[in-house]
Amino acid sequence: MIISEQWLRDWVRVDLSAQEIADHLTNAGLEVDGVEVVAGPIDKLVIGKVLTVEKHPDADRLNCTTVDIGTEVLNIVCGAANVRQDLMVAVATVGAKLPNGLKIKKAKVRGIESMGMLCSASELGLEESSAGLIELDADAEIGQRVDEYLALDDHLIDIDLTPNRGDCLSVQGIAREMKVLADGSYHPLDIQPIESTTDDTIEVKLDDSTNCPRYLGRVIKDINQNATTPLWMQERLRRSGVRPISPVVDITNYVMIELGQPMHAFDLAKLNEKIVIRQSKVGEKITLLDETEATLDGETLVIADSKAPVAIAGVMGGLDSSIDDSTTDIVLEAAHFTRKSASGKARRYGLHTDSSFRFERGVDPQLPPQAIERATELVLEICGGSAGPVVEQTNQNGLNSKPAVEIRLSRLVSLLGMPLDESEVGDILNRIADSVVGDNGVWQFIPPSYRFDIEREADLVEEVARVKGYDNIPTALPRIAPRSIAASEDRISARQVRQAFVARDYREAITYSFIDPSVHQRFSDEAPVELANPLADNMAVMRTSLLPGLMGALQFNANRQHDRIRFFEIGASYHKDGDAFIEQQKLAGVVTGSAQTTQWGIAKPQKLDFFDIKADLEAVLALTGHKNPIIFNEFEHIALHPGQCSSLVRQESNGNLVTIGYLGRLHPSIEKQYGVDNVYAFEINLDVALDAQLPAFEAVSRFPSIKRDLSVLISEELAVANVLDSLRDELGDALIKVELFDVYRGQGVADGLKSISLSLVLQHSDRTMTDEDATSLMGDALSLLETKWSATLRS
Amino acid sequence: MTDSLDSNLQNILQQAKDAIAASEKPAQLEELRVNYLGKKGELTNQLKQIGSLPHEERPKFGDKVNAVKQEVAQLLNHKKAELDAIVLAAALAAEKIDVTLPGRGISTGGIHPVSRTMQRIEDIFVAMGFGIATGPEIEDDFHNFEALNIPPEHPARAMHDTFYVKTESGDVAIEDGSEGSHLLRTHTSPVQARYMLSEKPPINIIAPGRVYRCDSDVTHTPMFHQVEGLMVDEGISFADLKGVLTHFLQQFFETDLKIRLRPSYFPFTEPSAEVDISCVFCGDDHGEPQGCRICKHTGWIEVLGSGMVHPEVFKHVGIDSEKYTGFAFGLGVERLTMLRYGVTDLRLFFDNDLTFLEQFK
Repeated sequence: MIISEQWLRDWVRVDLSAQEIADHLTNAGLEVDGVEVVAGPIDKLVIGKVLTVEKHPDADRLNCTTVDIGTEVLNIVCGAANVRQDLMVAVATVGAKLPNGLKIKKAKVRGIESMGMLCSASELGLEESSAGLIELDADAEIGQRVDEYLALDDHLIDIDLTPNRGDCLSVQGIAREMKVLADGSYHPLDIQPIESTTDDTIEVKLDDSTNCPRYLGRVIKDINQNATTPLWMQERLRRSGVRPISPVVDITNYVMIELGQPMHAFDLAKLNEKIVIRQSKVGEKITLLDETEATLDGETLVIADSKAPVAIAGVMGGLDSSIDDSTTDIVLEAAHFTRKSASGKARRYGLHTDSSFRFERGVDPQLPPQAIERATELVLEICGGSAGPVVEQTNQNGLNSKPAVEIRLSRLVSLLGMPLDESEVGDILNRIADSVVGDNGVWQFIPPSYRFDIEREADLVEEVARVKGYDNIPTALPRIAPRSIAASEDRISARQVRQAFVARDYREAITYSFIDPSVHQRFSDEAPVELANPLADNMAVMRTSLLPGLMGALQFNANRQHDRIRFFEIGASYHKDGDAFIEQQKLAGVVTGSAQTTQWGIAKPQKLDFFDIKADLEAVLALTGHKNPIIFNEFEHIALHPGQCSSLVRQESNGNLVTIGYLGRLHPSIEKQYGVDNVYAFEINLDVALDAQLPAFEAVSRFPSIKRDLSVLISEELAVANVLDSLRDELGDALIKVELFDVYRGQGVADGLKSISLSLVLQHSDRTMTDEDATSLMGDALSLLETKWSATLRS
Repeated sequence: MTDSLDSNLQNILQQAKDAIAASEKPAQLEELRVNYLGKKGELTNQLKQIGSLPHEERPKFGDKVNAVKQEVAQLLNHKKAELDAIVLAAALAAEKIDVTLPGRGISTGGIHPVSRTMQRIEDIFVAMGFGIATGPEIEDDFHNFEALNIPPEHPARAMHDTFYVKTESGDVAIEDGSEGSHLLRTHTSPVQARYMLSEKPPINIIAPGRVYRCDSDVTHTPMFHQVEGLMVDEGISFADLKGVLTHFLQQFFETDLKIRLRPSYFPFTEPSAEVDISCVFCGDDHGEPQGCRICKHTGWIEVLGSGMVHPEVFKHVGIDSEKYTGFAFGLGVERLTMLRYGVTDLRLFFDNDLTFLEQFK
């Protein structure tokens, strides 16, 4: 909310600058976003009256005027279209300096001497742009300083109010707050009932007195159709961010900003018989002031006449009953709609108005009688007419004052962690409300009718704290109960995994959890969790895999001349399980480019292949301490190359095999869609993969080992892992390590065969491995390979 | 007789000296060693002639020959050392490398700056004795709103710009608060509610994670990260909240910054406070801010929201608010990352542009 400093000062006297007022508000929880100067004092800018207007002899669009500024009559050349005789204008005389930096000098305009300038609102810093001269009220005093007349020496204080402080959405509200915070002297308006001068009324029928416990209506007849809103009011509205429209509408807006009570005015002639406050009927339609049509839902409070709704209560009035240029008789409305009845309505109908904003946050139920008198006073003053008596329908049960809230000094002290003086607390509470009774460090506090945010002791603790100032609360460090914070060794941490990937030249990415459904389909045939209100079509479903996001990141960089890209990400994937949702922590990566960077001394960097990434995964998952951290098996995945795709399997301690992820080359058709080549991708379920095994000590053999190599030819079809496993089974504990150091196909090896070269390390735990032992074991190995795998020794 | 032998000995010595001095290679020295000192060497031969001398002269001549042998041996050794040094020097010179050539092998990658900040935050709180809790990102309305004292249609919901998810039964549960409606959590605060429902005080946890708001512009991304903090015990006060946050923020920014708490409004805390730090970009040595563009010349930067746990929240989770009090806070990880490392554009965090990421290890 934007509030004018000068307007505020009418209500509360404080010996503070605008900036100091702003600081008080900010420090008390009414955050001020900015303080803006309106114009500041302007010397030599006075009110004048146009005496004569004549066409400039040498310029069609210019006029030569004489203007009375009280002390003298000036000749001024003016280009504005709305200049006319008797107009009251703002005259910048020679020597004046306008807010836009313009300095007024004596000048000759097309040969005619001009002794100043007649100003527009924008030239005075009041508007962004103006079509013509600012037209001052006819009763303005000739010769008066314009900065005084227009209160140009003003600041606009922009306050970002939290939703609990609806009571501060008015000049009155902020003034009350300044009274509490700065102990300022508070000068509320003295609003007196306006005597009726006509008996005209309209019947008000309160059908729903729960949602509208109070409704006041008043007929005012025979208003002047030609009345205009006085400049001072237009100015105050403008400075509050409200566009002036017409006198009656401006007055209702003015009262809303001044007191906080949203009001409405109907054209009496357009209402059928009476005013009924009731719930809408399903399917009822109303055309609103913004010329949109709303179809009502059956649980919306409306103001209706005997035939149809004429307003959505507290949100917006209807077009058909609205005031226009020909209106002579009006009905003023000041009503209390409960927060409950107002809440959500603006959102439901897409109508966020100043009125709905206030009712949703709570408007003081005691305000309508004051507001209607104030508005009547202003209508009679500005538009004339004669007012009828106020018609009021009230459900007292709905307006009962709030129950007292108890606040204990002991609670204040313990919750804030500071000593407090009983009389000081009493003083603060008394500044906030009139009805406070205290005894022995316990007060009964009856919240003012406008404070919807004070319902319990904790709310009053905050009140006392913020008036006292949060800065005055000391700083302490709590004694923290000891607790076990060390991580279990049953799992390795995601942080270890991150560091391991970083050490292997991977870079961590963070991609959005929601992705494009069409991209999702490339990577998964699972039905994803869908957003009901996505920000965009390409962010409409929750990822079931991290790969789509990572491929987006890879493509982004590939398009920016990066050719070696190694990304990993750790995060959740989201899945449906009936009406429930499941999240899994995943680790995924995408890698492209050469296996090594281009480096001197290396002939040519090798093309990345499956086994480079396999090594990375094996190394990282070896951190879990599992002897055999992953088993790789042939696998199928819709996004991966059918011949270069593997599942990652973990053997659990009970022997069960659990698939924990997959690794493979991206399917060439998907690579093509992304315009990239030779991309490898993997994804691992971290919930399982991070399970770790505690190191278990085994006695260290002190006896020498023997290393023997062996090359055999086996069928191309055989999976080498199976061959190695059978060797381990056959040779048992004596085989402490077997390494595959070459796989060869080609010259000397028949088609359909491959040569594998193994290096076996043999060792006994209790005696020296002799040459004879080793030879015998190698014999066993070879005969196993020959019989089980039809291998032949390669000469 | 001895005279001629003596002079012969001296000649041999002289020849040996000349030959050693003239040697250029270790192999030549080895040859000389054999020639003079070997079994058939000249000096050995001299010793063999000792028999032709009278008995009384033999020891004296023997001493002389041995002295010469020793001298020759010494000369050979010195010369050998000299030549070895030359050879070594030559070899070293030949093996000289340009140490400024680039190293070979793999370099290292880096973690995402948001992860980096998250780890720092976790480390600071863990060192203070806080544990780490987590909760689901697809939340239900109860935990995200209701349990946190944000009933349906509460104006605070409008500040949250919530993403709702479709349910299997097909109802688009976009109406706030409708039974069983699910959403992407708008803050990490639901972890508070979940934790307090399952654990009893004393509680001291932080809950890091992803959160979502239906909002995207220069200063908002629809996904970002928060860390929630919660401490509940007997006698926990607002002063404790100030103390814990001051300690954390001073540790995080590694400077003696000041903090300022301003009253604010969160439905799940009362009293509530926004927390500002004295500007870390224009603060002087004493943390006294001088005013700059980043703090909009106010000297203060807003960093997080906090407050004392609302009695209504305690009621929802079954904790006696007369016996226990507590504080909670929520901080934005991206915001702290931007302030710590001077990142000026929030959106960079999720572009995953390598040029950006490579600035973080």
